[in-house]
Amino acid sequence: MATTLTREDVVRRSAERTSYRFGSPLRRSQRIAGYLFIAPTFLLFLAFVLWPILYTAYLSLTSWGGFGSPRFVNFDNYTRMLNDPVARRAMVVTLVLTGVTTAILTFLGLVAAVLVNVIWPKVGVVVRTILFIPGIVSFVVSAVLWKLIYDPNIGTLNRLLGAIGLDSLQHPWLADHRTVLPAIIVVTVWGGLGFNMLIYFAGLQSIDPNLYEAAAMDGANTLQQFRHITVPSLRVVTGLIVSLGLLNGFKAFDVIFVMTGGGPNHHSEVLGTYLYSLAFGTTSGSIPQLGYASAFSVVTMVLCTLAVIAQLWLTRRADR
Amino acid sequence: MSNRWVGKSFATFVLLPFCLLMAFPFVWMLLTSMREQNTIFNGPIIPRKFTVTAYKDAWTSIEFPLHFWNSLWITSVTVIGVLVFATLSGYAFAKLQFPFRNTLFVLLLTTLMMPSTALIIPLYLELKSLGLLDTQTGLLVLYISGSAPFAMFLMRAFFQTLPDELIEAARVDGGSELTIFRRVILPLTRPGIATVVIFQFLQTWNEFLIANTVLRNTDALPLQPVLFTLMGQYSTNWPALTAGLTLSVVPVVIVYVRMQRQFVAGMMLGAVKN
Repeated sequence: MATTLTREDVVRRSAERTSYRFGSPLRRSQRIAGYLFIAPTFLLFLAFVLWPILYTAYLSLTSWGGFGSPRFVNFDNYTRMLNDPVARRAMVVTLVLTGVTTAILTFLGLVAAVLVNVIWPKVGVVVRTILFIPGIVSFVVSAVLWKLIYDPNIGTLNRLLGAIGLDSLQHPWLADHRTVLPAIIVVTVWGGLGFNMLIYFAGLQSIDPNLYEAAAMDGANTLQQFRHITVPSLRVVTGLIVSLGLLNGFKAFDVIFVMTGGGPNHHSEVLGTYLYSLAFGTTSGSIPQLGYASAFSVVTMVLCTLAVIAQLWLTRRADR
Repeated sequence: MSNRWVGKSFATFVLLPFCLLMAFPFVWMLLTSMREQNTIFNGPIIPRKFTVTAYKDAWTSIEFPLHFWNSLWITSVTVIGVLVFATLSGYAFAKLQFPFRNTLFVLLLTTLMMPSTALIIPLYLELKSLGLLDTQTGLLVLYISGSAPFAMFLMRAFFQTLPDELIEAARVDGGSELTIFRRVILPLTRPGIATVVIFQFLQTWNEFLIANTVLRNTDALPLQPVLFTLMGQYSTNWPALTAGLTLSVVPVVIVYVRMQRQFVAGMMLGAVKN
């Protein structure tokens, strides 16, 4: 159909289109269709996304055990947060985990992508698949797998260390407060590396090869080319990867919940696991603290919004 | 030329050991699942004898088929629901003119990145007051409403690549908006639809937090929360536990390997469009 349209036809029709009155039948049918088409998505969004956001913001200003009605307490939950040692630790752990994982994932993702890019294409496909697979299994699966590896008595890691005579390094990896965070970082990097590598890889492929040739002709060595062509060309991709890393860090839950539950002694507690234990805590008989927990939801949402803003900012700077 | 070879060899030299390291947890999972229970503590690292007893254990003792079916059913309904809602709204936002279109779109956009960790409390309370707590219906409602905006965003990007003239011509031919959408537009959007299907499949199949929170009745549970519970119960029966993990990963790997191209394209588009 479209191919039989001549250029004049198109021009005439678009002229007609702009001359339609507001109430003309074609325009009106489009309006009605537009609203009908977005209605299901939008109503669900209002009920199960927007309303929960507003409701949790309201709850964060109340004290509520789940029965009766919430009692308005102003900003008490937030001041309590500042004085709660566990909350402070959760905040610090969240920020440290997020920062370190994002930095490692960004760096390793770029390095892996560059290496995959220079390797023989057929080998590259295999490498890409292997690196990516940890990212498609669920967090529960990866957490359980790594828990088996870290297990103090029969875990693979300790057995391997024993097998090569390094018994002195054997360790209850997840039960020691000094090794629990590095252990979690390893799992997160393992799961997230493939995705970052792939995005960087796509970015590398879109760089104009002429740039490198010109640079080589000007006598720039490989390292200089990397610094002055590759890295600046990938700035938008890097912005994206950093902000996704921040988002994933701020909302971290599954891996930690499954592997350590926030332990030992809250040393791997993050905002997500702490708010979950406050609201749905497993200790029997404890009253859920829905108001206080909601304050952590709000903090998480603010952090995630900041991550999105950071990305917009990084992208805009890259455009200039 | 020789310079190229140096680069390629160096990359191989670094990447291959690294790949082995990355693949190790999966290799270990398979090895453990085929080990005899009495050899996990002190047997050799590569078992001398392989057995499938653990798979039989996992299959029968934890009602694996039931939970596998739950996962498959919940995932399928979510994928279909998200697809229907997201194509309709994505098309409207891309190609139809109506008042407040941009305002509504921006509203959907700003909340795209809100994680379920942050919304789990109000969502739980909401399902409770709707009487949908502990039902798969409730879970499905949350899955579909949580995912539809992002899928809409993906589909909108695909629809935007279609020429306006196509729709104009179909309108002049007298098709209703729904007919145009179904007969003219949808057939052209196969790649976009494939991407959303794969993306949504993986996401829903792997979801843990919401399922673990809103479902209490064991029979209704999908696989992920069951695997989590298993970890506690079977902390000594590693072969059965790893066999369960392996079985739970099979559909995901099949989908990924069969549809790798669309999947990667979709992830990329989704990520870049953010």
